[in-house]
Amino acid sequence: MTKTFTYDDVIRYLYSETTEKENYLIVEALALDDDLMNFYLDSLEIKNQMNKVVCNPAEQTVLKVLRYSQQFATSIPAALSF
Amino acid sequence: MEKVQVSDSELVTLYIHGNEKAFEKLVQRHKSRIYTTIYLIVKDQYVAEDLLQDTFIKAVDTIKGGRYNDEGKFLPWIIRIAHNLAIDYFRRDKRYPNVVFEDGSSVFNTLDFAEDSVESVQIRQETHEQLREMIQRLPDVQKQVLIMRHYEDMSFQEIADATGVSINTALGRMRYALINLRKQFNQRAPQYDKNFYLR
Repeated sequence: MTKTFTYDDVIRYLYSETTEKENYLIVEALALDDDLMNFYLDSLEIKNQMNKVVCNPAEQTVLKVLRYSQQFATSIPAALSF
Repeated sequence: MEKVQVSDSELVTLYIHGNEKAFEKLVQRHKSRIYTTIYLIVKDQYVAEDLLQDTFIKAVDTIKGGRYNDEGKFLPWIIRIAHNLAIDYFRRDKRYPNVVFEDGSSVFNTLDFAEDSVESVQIRQETHEQLREMIQRLPDVQKQVLIMRHYEDMSFQEIADATGVSINTALGRMRYALINLRKQFNQRAPQYDKNFYLR
């Protein structure tokens, strides 16, 4: 039986949640269906754009985290002295 | 010479045995992704900084407290902590968070982008700022699925389980999120870099 692929299947394909067998069939379906292909290309563009949106925390925040970790290590022997 | 990448699991193991450098490596490797996830949820730089700190503190407490169950999935584990803290922030405050706008010295001066390109930094920055704003404008359920799938790297089945919906509903929400983002891009066409959309 021929499987009809939906937009949801394309999303699963976009996020690598399809099986190898499905991949082959989806690529075929995309080639035959302009709407599906356009949706895939649009979604791929947005996905790529979202990958580039990266926010970095302040260096001070990172330093506080590292300091906490270092102090955690030294606080254990102190606690054992009680 | 090819640089060998030490896995997260190996770094965690080293950290458990007292290697602070291994922890520093983990923090540097994942701080941006975790911070981005939190920031997209809370929309406030200062809250996001606090929650990032809380996230790593929980991680340190768990790992050094001997309660970390290593299944080779450090990033999904710590991102779940970050997500839960961000959601708890909303529940605790029962209010919509303040948006911190660019004022030349606050929110956006900490922003960076994953890779360089030939486009001008200005155009890229505007485009990505707009995209962040567009993500914020999505209906909550769509934004939730989008962030969970794209930034938290949860599978659609995991999202369905976590949010108490069927996988088809999760996929449908993601579909509408992508369609809505595309619509918003089209409406703002003159403001973003057309080189991204050559079709």
